[in-house]
Amino acid sequence: MITLTNLQKRFGELEVLKGIDVTIEKGTTAVIIGPSGSGKTTLLRCLNLLETPDGGSISIGNHKIDFSGQKVRGADVAALRKQTGMVFQNYNLFPHLTALQNIMEGPITVLRKPKEEVRKRAMDLLEKVGLRDRADMYPHQLSGGQQQRIGIARAMAMEPAVLLFDEPTSALDPELVGEVLRVMKDLAEEGMTMAVVTHEMQFARDVSDKVIFMDQGVVAEMGTPDEVFGNTKNKRTLQFLNKLNTI
Amino acid sequence: MFADERTQRIIGILSDSFFPILKAGLYFTIPLTLITFVLGLILAFLIAIARLSNVKPLEAAARFFVWIFRGTPLLVQIFILFYGFPSIGITLNPFPAAVIAFTLNKGAYSSEIIRAAILSIPKGQWEAAYSISMTKSQAMRRVILPQAVRVSLPPLGNSFISLVKDTSLAATITVTELFQKGQQIAAVTYEPLWLYIEVAFIYLIFSTVLSFLQSKLEQRYDRMVAK
Ligand SMILES: Nc1ncnc2c1ncn2[C@@H]1O[C@H](COP(=O)(O)OP(=O)(O)OP(=O)(O)O)[C@@H](O)[C@H]1O
Ligand SMILES: [Mg+2]
Repeated sequence: MITLTNLQKRFGELEVLKGIDVTIEKGTTAVIIGPSGSGKTTLLRCLNLLETPDGGSISIGNHKIDFSGQKVRGADVAALRKQTGMVFQNYNLFPHLTALQNIMEGPITVLRKPKEEVRKRAMDLLEKVGLRDRADMYPHQLSGGQQQRIGIARAMAMEPAVLLFDEPTSALDPELVGEVLRVMKDLAEEGMTMAVVTHEMQFARDVSDKVIFMDQGVVAEMGTPDEVFGNTKNKRTLQFLNKLNTI
Repeated sequence: MFADERTQRIIGILSDSFFPILKAGLYFTIPLTLITFVLGLILAFLIAIARLSNVKPLEAAARFFVWIFRGTPLLVQIFILFYGFPSIGITLNPFPAAVIAFTLNKGAYSSEIIRAAILSIPKGQWEAAYSISMTKSQAMRRVILPQAVRVSLPPLGNSFISLVKDTSLAATITVTELFQKGQQIAAVTYEPLWLYIEVAFIYLIFSTVLSFLQSKLEQRYDRMVAK
């Protein structure tokens, strides 16, 4: 469903992704873990082309872009990006729009769908993230957890083939983490395809189908949660997991 | 006795002149301010967009324009336009000349305010817009500009209030706005001190009302910008 082949990304001299090969099956959730600076965010940003990879290829559904050849066409970028939705660490909601308007903005401005239809679907999404009664509130009137759930609904409104999450709960007060993870778990159970960068190991264990451990720009280990958390033989994974446990 | 007569004379002059001066303000100063402010804003917006366009010639032209109009006195710009241009065959009436000069000058200054406001919107807002597949111009129109407008309200409000006062320069090219009217009356009554204090007082009324409206507007739009 999502296939990354030998994906590479450099920032000047710094090689951040050194050839990533990953597949994520349709309807599954992949969790990406790894130490700070290992390239997790960069990988997600390459997936929706907020960063342009320097080599390798990305295919999502039946859209594929090869980055090793000539310059990438804008139309290809747009087509691939339409397949992805992004949930940001600090929400990045549009502060001048209400919760409902945040969700409706994409379908109306980009997809040019009829307003009534979009509103109905947006209300359904609000219902789903448990915020139907907050439809007319502005982001600054909502808690972090509520904002992040709106962020998820905004991404879902574009009906992407895959949802990308970059540490969606790490800016939240501990008591608000659960409500966001709950929504993500529901999505996973409904068969949404997701790639999630997170430090929430319990979530990784319970919800994910695949754990991808990144270290220094490469995939150091990849497997089911049982394989990675249960009995990994990989030294770097062990080190990382031990460090997490001692915190 | 003498002092009393003098006081009464001044009070008489001031009360006779108050409404004519106020009227000059309402007929010329305020329209001049409003027209130039609106035209100046439109120009400023175009210049700001040009400077952020990444199209080299456009960027350079906009930068050149701002350099000229910010680097020279407004009074000199007005004189070149009104007293200088007739010698190359372009003769303007005082009021349109004032409108053009103020518009160009305000446009140059305000473009910097708008540009700074656009640049102040966090990168995350662009990325969020792109992440829902907006194009650059959709992101600009729907996400960045509405926030940039709110950011630029305070500085634009200040520049609007200073424009009210700057329009007194139009007196130098014979526009009978507030200040010019005060000058005329001062010249025939020989009471410059009191008349100019009266003129100052009327400007003060205008700018106080505007400051009040400005702060109301800002309060309304507070919190609507990504921090
Ligand atoms: N725009 C950029 N320009 C230059 N270097 C960058 C840029 N973005 C990321 N980097 C560098 O790339 C490396 C990987 O960064 P990335 O943000 O992908 O790591 P990460 O795994 O998400 O880390 P964290 O867990 O701290 O979020 C880091 O060394 C970082 O400094
Ligand atoms: Mg990161």
